[in-house]
Amino acid sequence: MIEFNRFKLPNGLTVIHHQDLTTPMAVINVLYDVGARDESEDKTGFAHLFEHLMFGGSVNIPDFDAPLQNAGGESNAFTSNDITNYYDIVPVANIETALWLESDRMLSLAFTEKSLETQRSVVIEEFKQRYLNQPYGDVWLELRPLAYTEHPYKWATIGKNIEQIEQAEMKDVKAFFKKHYHPGNAILCIASKLTLEEVNQLATKWFGDIPAQEKAIRKLPAEPKQIAFKEKTIERQVPSNAVYYAFKMVDRKHADYYTTDLISDALGREKSSRLYQQLRKELKLVTRISAYITGSNDEGLFVIEAKLADGISFETVDEAIWKVLEQFSATHLDSVETDKLKNKIRTAKAFQEQGLLNRAMNLSLFELLGDANGINLEQAAYQAITADHIQAVSQVLFKKENCSLLRVKAIPA
Amino acid sequence: MMNRNIQPTIVPVEELSILKPLIFDVTKDVRLLWMKAVPNDTVRLDLYFHAGITSGTESIPAIVHSLLLSGTATKTSLEINEEIDRLGGYIDTDISFETSVISIYALKEFILPIAHIVANAINGLNFEASELADTVRSLKQSFQENQQKVRYLAQQQFRKGLFASNEMYAQLANMSHFDNVNERVLKHYFQQNYLNGLTRMTLVGDLEQDQVDELIDLFGKWAVDVIPTPGSNFIPLAENVHVPFEGAVQSAIRLGKFLVPKNHPDYFDLQLLNTILGDYFGSRLMSNIREDKGYTYGIGSAIMDIRSTSYFVIMTEVGVEVRDAALAEIKLEIERLQTELVEEQELTLVKNYVSGQLLKSADGPYALLDLYNSVDLYGVSISYYEEALARIQKITPQRLKDLAVQYLKWEDFFIVTAG
Repeated sequence: MIEFNRFKLPNGLTVIHHQDLTTPMAVINVLYDVGARDESEDKTGFAHLFEHLMFGGSVNIPDFDAPLQNAGGESNAFTSNDITNYYDIVPVANIETALWLESDRMLSLAFTEKSLETQRSVVIEEFKQRYLNQPYGDVWLELRPLAYTEHPYKWATIGKNIEQIEQAEMKDVKAFFKKHYHPGNAILCIASKLTLEEVNQLATKWFGDIPAQEKAIRKLPAEPKQIAFKEKTIERQVPSNAVYYAFKMVDRKHADYYTTDLISDALGREKSSRLYQQLRKELKLVTRISAYITGSNDEGLFVIEAKLADGISFETVDEAIWKVLEQFSATHLDSVETDKLKNKIRTAKAFQEQGLLNRAMNLSLFELLGDANGINLEQAAYQAITADHIQAVSQVLFKKENCSLLRVKAIPA
Repeated sequence: MMNRNIQPTIVPVEELSILKPLIFDVTKDVRLLWMKAVPNDTVRLDLYFHAGITSGTESIPAIVHSLLLSGTATKTSLEINEEIDRLGGYIDTDISFETSVISIYALKEFILPIAHIVANAINGLNFEASELADTVRSLKQSFQENQQKVRYLAQQQFRKGLFASNEMYAQLANMSHFDNVNERVLKHYFQQNYLNGLTRMTLVGDLEQDQVDELIDLFGKWAVDVIPTPGSNFIPLAENVHVPFEGAVQSAIRLGKFLVPKNHPDYFDLQLLNTILGDYFGSRLMSNIREDKGYTYGIGSAIMDIRSTSYFVIMTEVGVEVRDAALAEIKLEIERLQTELVEEQELTLVKNYVSGQLLKSADGPYALLDLYNSVDLYGVSISYYEEALARIQKITPQRLKDLAVQYLKWEDFFIVTAG
């Protein structure tokens, strides 16, 4: 059980207080309800580029990092298709420095041309490092637009291509800040030994005077229901052929979400999972295989990916994967298998809850989904999953017309 | 209205509370370190073996490491993994330069049954032919994939060059290693380096003493007779090596040189010098090469400990067109450390930053065990950290400049670029 308190400042900022009396540190987590899905199609990669700019100085403070480091702290952030999340970890005695910095950049940025120019280059290097300069690096740049036709999940967080990042202009940056960076669009979690009263006082002191602004209503194009199997083959200079099967799955708040996650564990998480066991161990068709979900807030993807063993054809692997999926959907899992999956989740959750940062981040994520207390209900939701439900969800999930298949065909260098 | 232009007052870190693990002698040389104060049901058990990649030839250490849970005369790999999974256990195995580690993550109630499964699996490992073939296929695939990563190529050539004077430390994996694997050689290596190769056990978890005794009984029989002497007295080599890679859009850069062992009187202060140069987000390398020039997504430096000494390394990936420019800036930053005194403002910042990070490194039983290991593995006492806050404060700009002159001579660096 993770205890927390929650309150809202008059300007609309949601504040979560989490107390841990054992730690000498404080975590300040600020989640903004904006991600790559909020970008327009001709300006992709913007939410992430913007995350970089948030470290380029704010209205009253020329440099974000140095004061925090001076206070013994460190900071980082990440952007996903759904959210942008910033965090600071600092000795609790210096928590005010982190609050000063976070509140000032929520108030307004410095918006310097130099910062924009540098971070454009840094992000382009990040694009190259992660997506272009390694084998299979561009798979998600191909898989997303294959699986999604309308929803903005069809582009990756880094952006569709380098050109769009190169074209980002100051006026876009300012408009993006104005629309998405304000108290009503953020969740602040403070995790430390401080009491609720202390946290209330600090949050009010530092964030209370930031002007309120109306939260924009998100109107994303809905993804039409997929009615036909899609496939694409790309040729790349990679060591072996690879396949990526992406099935459309439910959104994060749907009752079937946890069941779908458990199905991915059953099929391809561990060495005792079905796909690993059958395709790699028994049939020796692949050198690597796994299944996982993207965990998106809107309708996400259930992905099976595999690297083919030498001399094995795409057709052979395809047939074997579908056979495993058909068997899985056609029969009830016995209690030994469901108990196994649930026990793994118990352990994983216990370790996740160890870390202060993890707790602060997850409280914020659940609050975004509607209620921070969701973090305390998750375990029970997994434990309540039945074999009936697993089967019912599988039968909907693993229909061929619900699938998009990307093949990477290896060609010589 | 408050003044947002002024930073709130900073309070320095005044004290680290370092809780030490309980220590049990498994044998004369092998110990178990136990951090008992865990406020929840999680347990982590780590088994250390003298079985790193430098402890054998022809990728044998990597192959055996991958085979550890691959089956016995009575159980297949699937059955072993299935049993561990049913108890909710996670097994993580890691192989590094001089050591291999098997880690078990579990809930308190399941740690002993899982430990027994792991112990039986390793005791009875039978190198079954199809498992061996499967492992080799998978390692070969990873090897081929790595050959297409400039970062990996640079790292490999760096190791080969830095350790050129020691055959075991300089050897690289090679495709032919995965072709004719000799089962007899594997078995011999396994017998020597695992069944007779345990060098350390560490445990984090709120267990009872008799449970810990049981773990010692279970794994203690694998203890090495004497902890083997590591490679030492490496002869430095300063060269420039370029590995071409057709079509690369980024070049990987690695450069470095040997430093001193962790128990050397200069080591502690060298760490602070390393932090200033490249070991935090505001470091000189990051500020110049990423935040000013935009040449890279990231650049960093580190002091890597090996058993007999340590080496200093700078790592980055930059756009191919700015490879030489980036190297020139790296050289410039090292020269600045040798010719200019670090200004008080920057030095204070780094001292404060490092002190805050130490506080974080001592937060909670898992962090504390890692902290303790990070000195104990190299024969250094925990007083290294207990005295750290005071020692940090004593470091002067002149001392840092002297260290840079003595230890970071550009002509001593082994430099690799790939792509």
